[in-house]
Amino acid sequence: MFINPEVPLDSLPSADDLDWQPLHPRFVRRLQVGALVRVLVVGIIGSAAYFLMTSGDSAAMARFADRLLPFALTAFGLFAASVLLWPMIAVPRRGYVVREKDILHKSGVLWRSVKAVPFNRVQHTKLDSGLLDRRFGLANLSVFPAGAGGHRIRGLGTDTAEQLRVYVSERIEAEALDPADED
Amino acid sequence: MSRSDPGAWQRTSPFAIVFFIGRTIKSFTRSLIQLVATFGALAVLIERNPQVALVIPVGILAIIVAGVLEYWFFRFRIEEDRIHIHQGIARKTALDLPFDRVQGINVERSLIDRILGLVTVSLDTAGSATAEGQLPSVTSELADDLRTRIRAHRPATVADGIATADEQAEEATPAAEESGRREPSPGQVILKLTSGDIARIGFSNRNLVVAAAVLGLLGQSLDFAEDRLRPIFESAGEAFAGAGALIQVLVVIGFVLVGLGLVLFGALLRYHGFTLWREGTAYRTRAGLLTQREVVVEARKIQQLTLSHNLVMRLFRRHRLRALPAALLPNQGGADAAGLQIAEVLEVPLLRARQAEDLRTRVFGREGDALTLQPRSPAFLRVSPVYIRALTLRISFTGALVALPFLVPLLQSNAGTNLADAVQGLLGETPMLGAGSAGTVALGVLLWWLVLIPPAALIAWVRWRRQGYLHDDDGLASRSGFLGRKVDAFLFRKAQSVAVVQSPLQRRKGLATLNVQLACGPLSVPYIDHGIACRLRDYMLYRVESSRRRWH
Repeated sequence: MFINPEVPLDSLPSADDLDWQPLHPRFVRRLQVGALVRVLVVGIIGSAAYFLMTSGDSAAMARFADRLLPFALTAFGLFAASVLLWPMIAVPRRGYVVREKDILHKSGVLWRSVKAVPFNRVQHTKLDSGLLDRRFGLANLSVFPAGAGGHRIRGLGTDTAEQLRVYVSERIEAEALDPADED
Repeated sequence: MSRSDPGAWQRTSPFAIVFFIGRTIKSFTRSLIQLVATFGALAVLIERNPQVALVIPVGILAIIVAGVLEYWFFRFRIEEDRIHIHQGIARKTALDLPFDRVQGINVERSLIDRILGLVTVSLDTAGSATAEGQLPSVTSELADDLRTRIRAHRPATVADGIATADEQAEEATPAAEESGRREPSPGQVILKLTSGDIARIGFSNRNLVVAAAVLGLLGQSLDFAEDRLRPIFESAGEAFAGAGALIQVLVVIGFVLVGLGLVLFGALLRYHGFTLWREGTAYRTRAGLLTQREVVVEARKIQQLTLSHNLVMRLFRRHRLRALPAALLPNQGGADAAGLQIAEVLEVPLLRARQAEDLRTRVFGREGDALTLQPRSPAFLRVSPVYIRALTLRISFTGALVALPFLVPLLQSNAGTNLADAVQGLLGETPMLGAGSAGTVALGVLLWWLVLIPPAALIAWVRWRRQGYLHDDDGLASRSGFLGRKVDAFLFRKAQSVAVVQSPLQRRKGLATLNVQLACGPLSVPYIDHGIACRLRDYMLYRVESSRRRWH
């Protein structure tokens, strides 16, 4: 495929067999709590709609609501179960690797992706954590190369995230200052 | 005013007032609907109370006063390494723009500017959207001076690109560049468009196709036109009885001619005297009949080259080339999404294949020798035919989903009854499907989806035939398209991030999609072998990580 006499392809570092770092164990719980909140919101809206429909004047509307109820409950049950269980499936399949020259991030259960961002293309980094994240002692690390919105690694322990951020920043500096080593 | 005295605050020329008034009007008319609504409301009000008409002169006066005030408060100061621009009447803004953050300088000359020998300078910044550096109606000397300063201030690069021989020669004679409004010397000119070329641009206008479609619709309302026109003909002495058909033909021809005239005039307005030339390390284009626009893009800031042609351009055997610079660099401050700033794209609206290849070698330098922008090149590798299957499914599903809101009411009505009857008649079964039942609806949607599959498959097949990629040691070119064709090419070392993505189907077939993020946008190579995708990713990372050259 390529002809590249100086660097034999086989000797190139491969991003396939890597020691993927798992996300923080509490991240599953955090996502589940987030999902629970969403389930509750949907449930409240749904039951409010049901009571509005049945308590109204229209008998036809009430009959319609009653006919719809089993379907709605089944759909709601499936939604709740999948949303609550999904983090347990998805989180173990996510992970990251920090190498000397780049950071890799894999994610996805059905659609799987492995993203790599070289440090010498990173413009800046960002740490963020929401209300729930903080309760679970978690933080999210984003690295921003040019042109895209950035790559966000969610569900790191606060300490790990801070260490990573410092490391990435150092690497960015190092890559920028590295003397010419012309390719 | 004539020179950019460092450190001194200065105003632009008073003719900038016209620019500010124009800008106010432009921002007013940005939404046509809003404008129509405003005028409509105004008309109604005036009809009821004629005194409301006073609003109009008062409004015009207000806009003019605002323009004068904006001019008065607009001040700029050029320092060694940066430019300060202070502006605003009520809400003051102070822009501090270091030259090394300037991505490109663009010069625009409106009709008034041209008469007075002034230019409007826009500074493309690699930063936040608010940092819009625009100097209206300044002298061209000042624009040139600014350009020289910005170029001079370019950070000293370790190994800044491969300076070709002529580039070095030009750098050695900067004096030639200083002289006023520069006309490109014949040696620098790469490409000029003739009037024939501009006519071709007009003919290959995308809107012409749309216009033809609109014409088809108009054909149905031609009776209306006929009714209007017939009295004219009849008053002319009822020269011919069967004038109706003739009028229709005349109206259609008239529409075609007017449409053609419009697109040709549009092309002339925009591309008259189009010239592309190289100046130092930058590529510049200049074009325009009334308002002359100049685009300057530094060669090393070009991230991607895109060659495309639509059906009409294929007939002319011509292409369109776009050189995309970095679209946005995230703010150092951390405001990510806010930092959108689209840099000016260098566009060559019409060129031959050979010229495109010539430009590619100029822009990429010694790198990417084996790349090509020619969509017909046999060097392009096909992607896996599984792509057809995936695309067929995607297109037909989308089609079925889009049709769902129309399909369901239809199936619940008579058509649904007929469908249910037909199916039962066909199967000879006892009635179990009633009109409007969930079963009928599901069956109807399923049938509709099945009907959609053959055309979807055809579209997918054509798109698969267009899809392709090729790469060498330095870069990659990806081809795509449906009716037209498009080739995107970039150098590996310009990549920002790389991802290998697999759908469930791709996993089963051992395929993957390679997504490359460039500073000007994403680029993907779908449905290639997973192993190849991973090797390309690893190689690309190696090239990026071992590169010490500036990518922008």
